[in-house]
Amino acid sequence: MRRNYGPIYVAPITFWLCAFLSVPLLITLSYSFMEKGLYGGVELHFSLAAYKSLLNTAVLKVLLNTIIIAVASTTIIVILALPTAYYIARSSKKNILLMLIIIPFWTNFLIRIYAWIAILGSNGLLNSFLLSTGLIDSHIQFLYNRYAIILVIIYTTIPFAIFPLYSTIEKFDFSLIEAAMDLGASKKRALWEVMIPNIRTGIITAVLFTFIPIFGNFAVPQLVGGTSSWMLGNLIVRELNITRNWPLASSISVVLTSVTMIGVLFFMRSQSKKEL
Amino acid sequence: MKKSPLLLLSAVLACLSLFGCSEQKKEEAPQQKKQEGQAEAQKEGQAKKTDAQQTLYIYNWTYYIPDQVVKDFEKEYNAKVVYDMYASNEEMFTKLKAGGSGYDLVFPSGDYVSIMIKENMLEQIDRAKVPNFKNLDPAVLAKIHFDEGSKYSVPYMMGAAGVAVNKKHVPNFDKSWSLFNREDLKGRMTMLDDMREVLGAALKSLGYSVNTKNLDELEKAKELVKQWKTKIVKFDAESFGKGFAAGEFWVVQGYQENIFLELDESARKDVEFFIPKEGSAMYMDNMVLLKNAKNKELAYTFMNYIHEPKVYAQIVDFLMLPSINVPARDIRTVKPNYEIADLDRSEFKEDLGESLNEYNQVWQKIIVGE
Repeated sequence: MRRNYGPIYVAPITFWLCAFLSVPLLITLSYSFMEKGLYGGVELHFSLAAYKSLLNTAVLKVLLNTIIIAVASTTIIVILALPTAYYIARSSKKNILLMLIIIPFWTNFLIRIYAWIAILGSNGLLNSFLLSTGLIDSHIQFLYNRYAIILVIIYTTIPFAIFPLYSTIEKFDFSLIEAAMDLGASKKRALWEVMIPNIRTGIITAVLFTFIPIFGNFAVPQLVGGTSSWMLGNLIVRELNITRNWPLASSISVVLTSVTMIGVLFFMRSQSKKEL
Repeated sequence: MKKSPLLLLSAVLACLSLFGCSEQKKEEAPQQKKQEGQAEAQKEGQAKKTDAQQTLYIYNWTYYIPDQVVKDFEKEYNAKVVYDMYASNEEMFTKLKAGGSGYDLVFPSGDYVSIMIKENMLEQIDRAKVPNFKNLDPAVLAKIHFDEGSKYSVPYMMGAAGVAVNKKHVPNFDKSWSLFNREDLKGRMTMLDDMREVLGAALKSLGYSVNTKNLDELEKAKELVKQWKTKIVKFDAESFGKGFAAGEFWVVQGYQENIFLELDESARKDVEFFIPKEGSAMYMDNMVLLKNAKNKELAYTFMNYIHEPKVYAQIVDFLMLPSINVPARDIRTVKPNYEIADLDRSEFKEDLGESLNEYNQVWQKIIVGE
C-alpha cells in the first residue's frame, strides 16, 4: 500500500488559510453581531443594530456607487484584455510582451496612482499639453470624479485579467478556427462561436480576479475620487477609524464578503455544469 | 474534479485577502518598522548601560518635538528617551486600549484627554513637580473645559485649522469661511476630510458652538457645508498640501504645519494663512501621565523641561505655532503663522460622547448625499 502524503502537502496552506483567513473572518462575523463600545471596540452583547443601520440610504448609495464602478471597470477591463491576451498568445515575442505587462508591478501601487495624478492634474502633463497646443483655454478637471476612479482602477487591475486570459488562449487549439472557417464560418464568427466558448474558464477567472478586488478597493477612490465618489472600502475604513463603530464596519465587511463569495460559487457552479 | 471548485475558491479568497491587505500596509509599514527597529535598538543599547540611566517612553504625534530638544534633555538629565509616533488620536487610543503599554508620557488632544480620564487611564498631575506650569498663559488655561482645572494634563501646544490662500491666483479675499462659497474659485478649493473641522467651520460661520448638541443647529450647518461642497474639489486631509504646493488648489482648509512643510522658502511669500474671523474648531494637545507609567519622576522632569521658556521657544519656533508659554513669547525668534489673539473666537473641540452619533449621521449625509 502506498502512503498517502496528501494531508502533509496541504497542511501549510490549510494552516495559512485558517490562521489568516478563517479566524479573522469569524472574528469579523462575531463583531458584527455585537454592540458598539462608546470609544471603539465592541461590547459583548448580542445586537442586530449594525445590520439595521446597513439599510440606511447613505450606505445603499455607496453600495450602488461601488457596484457601478466595479461593473463598469470590469467590463472595460475584459473588453480590453481579451484582444491583448489574444495578440500576446499569437505573437512570436510572447516573453517580452508578458514582461512589459509585469514591469509596472515593480513600482509601488501608490506611486503609480500618484503618477496618474501628475498626468491628469489641473497643472498636469495632459492639461499643460492641451493648453500649449491651444486646444483648450482653461484647464479641464480630469481628476476627482468617478471617471478618474474607473480609469485608475482599470490601469492597476488589468494585468489580473490579461494573465488568465493569456494562459487559456495559449492552450486553445487554433486548428479549430481553421476547421470552422473551412466549414464556411467567417473569421469573426469562428472567433466568437468557437474560441470564446472554449476560453470560458479564462474569462470567468479574469472577471473574478478583477471584480472582487475592485469591489473592495479604497485607496483609489481616496486619492483620485472627488466629493461624492465613496466606495464601500472607504466606508469601512471610516467606521473603523473615525466614527469608532466597529460592529458597523464588520457588518459591511460581512456583506461585502458574502456578496463576493456567493458570486464566486454561482460562477463556479455554472461552469462545472457546462463541463459535465 | 469534485474537489477543485472548493480549492479554487479558497485560493481566490487567499489571493484577494493578501491583495486587500497589501494596500493598506504599504502606507504604514515602513514607518512603523523603522520605529520598532529604533525602539528595539534603543532598548538593547539601554540594557548594556548601567542602571543609573533611566529611560522615558514617549508616545507623541509625528514631528512634534524637535530632535534637538530631546537630545538636550537626554544630556542634561543623563536619561534615555524612546520616542514613538502616531498620526491620529484614534490610532493612539486604540493602541493604548489594546494593551500597547509601556509608555509613560502621551500627548492626546483635549477631547481625548477627557475620554482617557473617563476610562480611568490617567494619573493625576502633581503640580508641585511641574513648577514651570506657572509660565502658562492663564487666559488660555481658562478656556480649557476638557479637564477642568488641568488636574490630569499639562497643556503642550495650541492651534486651529485655518485657511491657506495662494495670493498669486487669489489676490483679493475676505478672511472668512465664506471664501468657500465663491463661485470663481470653484474647482480650486479643498476642505479637510474631518467632520469636526468642517462642521466646526460651518457652525462657527452660523454663530453656534463647535460642540453643539442642538440638532437644529447641526442641521443648518449641514446645509451650509452642502453649499460649500458644490464649490470644492474634494474633502481631503492627506494629499491637499501637495496639491496646494503644486498650484493645483488655491484655497485649502488645513493645519498650517501640514501646508507650510510642503512649501519652499520662495513659495511661502505667496501664501497667506489665516484663522477665519468667525473662529474655528481649536485643539490643545496635552502631556498626560499614564496610570501604569514606570518612570513617573522622569516624566515630570520632562514636562517641566518642556515649559522652560528657552526650550519652549525652540519648539514653537520649529512648529511656527503660537506660544502658550508667556515668557517664551519674548525669546522666540520666528514669527508664528498666527497669534493667540487670532484664536479669540475659536473654541476647543470637546468629546461629543453620545452625540458623536448625530454628527456621524450628518457627516455621512454630506459625504454621500441624502
